[in-house]
Amino acid sequence: MTSQTEQTAPAKVERRRRAAYAALTLALALSQLWAFAAMRDLYPFAAWRMMSGGGEVREGYAYFIARGESASGETVDIRPARLTDALYARTWGLVEATVGNGSFRLRRPHPANAAALRQAGGFDKLPRGARVPELLRAWGEIYNEGIAPDSPRRLRAVRLDAYRRAGGRDTARDELTDTWSVEL
Amino acid sequence: MALGVVRAGVSGVFLVSVLLTDFTNLGRLPVTLLRPAGFMQLLPWSLYEAVMTPRGMFSLMCGTALSLLLSTAGWLTPATTKTSALLVLFYQGLLRNLGHFNHDEMLGVYYLLILAFAPCGDGFSVDGLLRRGRGRERLSEFAYGYPVLLMRALMAWAYFSSALIKLRSSGAGYFSPDTLPALAVRHSLDNLHDTQFRYAFYLFDYRAYTTPLVALVVAWELLFPLALFSKRARRCLLGFGVVFHVSTLFVMNIFFPHFLAMYLVFVDWRGVAARLRGWRGRRDV
Repeated sequence: MTSQTEQTAPAKVERRRRAAYAALTLALALSQLWAFAAMRDLYPFAAWRMMSGGGEVREGYAYFIARGESASGETVDIRPARLTDALYARTWGLVEATVGNGSFRLRRPHPANAAALRQAGGFDKLPRGARVPELLRAWGEIYNEGIAPDSPRRLRAVRLDAYRRAGGRDTARDELTDTWSVEL
Repeated sequence: MALGVVRAGVSGVFLVSVLLTDFTNLGRLPVTLLRPAGFMQLLPWSLYEAVMTPRGMFSLMCGTALSLLLSTAGWLTPATTKTSALLVLFYQGLLRNLGHFNHDEMLGVYYLLILAFAPCGDGFSVDGLLRRGRGRERLSEFAYGYPVLLMRALMAWAYFSSALIKLRSSGAGYFSPDTLPALAVRHSLDNLHDTQFRYAFYLFDYRAYTTPLVALVVAWELLFPLALFSKRARRCLLGFGVVFHVSTLFVMNIFFPHFLAMYLVFVDWRGVAARLRGWRGRRDV
């Protein structure tokens, strides 16, 4: 037989549980509706915009290829998505944002970026891809880790090439627009 | 039990993902590349400085993996589901501070948050085993069923709103024969994606079929809420979803493994358990 206290406790627990579910549902619903109405992602609120840019994808956009140069002079595909696999599908977003100086556009940038902004005299005066060399150096160091210092496979330079898409069935007409390179 | 299996599944997916990822290399990227957005802006730069080092990232990995391991096993569940949700929320935010806001893991992050508020340690858990024989209060069916329903509804909303956003942002232009080839080629040009498939370029030869294909995908997204109500529709919609997500890997070099894994919330786990019991009973006879 169940005692009186044992019977009332679950009812109280149930009520509290239902209140928590109501609050959770409301929070999720409001955040989802806001993100949908604004069509904007604001972490952790996601507007589900997967593959929504169909009408906007036209010729003339930029894409990037990262390459390394080995000690033996060979050009190597360094596959950055594998170097920092935690980023996986986000690596191209990192590169696009770094080339566009995204980390300088913040309301509260990193102190080093704020100092660089002041030194340059404003965002518009910054060179395109101001932090790209640091990114390339980091990739190069990660790639070289575990490769013997005298190995011909070791990278001596890392390069990022920016291309403008010309359209068509292949990349033959695409134009090289920018290159960043660092010696390791 | 179903809620317990969902807890183990969702936490387990993130646990495997964390264990297979090299956190220390991420810590070698310069902190000056970070672009904190949303709630991540509220955190101080000193925290990012401390975390974005090989040692900091390794510590984050160990803490997250331990918490996820415990929440997968269902041990100290009320605490570990909350720490798992918070740590994964922070880690996923950190990744999006560097790259762009992609949606693969977001549904799983929401699921972890829901589980943090749900009695998901009562069944299919170490906590449940430890409490066995000690007598415990069993909550109503609603308390165990509602979180799963909420998770299903979130997935249905994700697909449904994705279709609406496509139509809102591009209108009828989204059904242009160029949409699919252009989107697919865009993700097949660089060497910054996980995979380097070039099948996208063949799509130009099949432009006559791309409009119906895109229309089919948008229709599937719009119809996905039916999975909440009909078992038969669920089977078709989830089956189509598997084919769709796998095909985007080959055609667009985009894959949503976490999103796909979250289909587990639509599995009738009680039915699976009953079938397993029946199968075991027949084998014992």
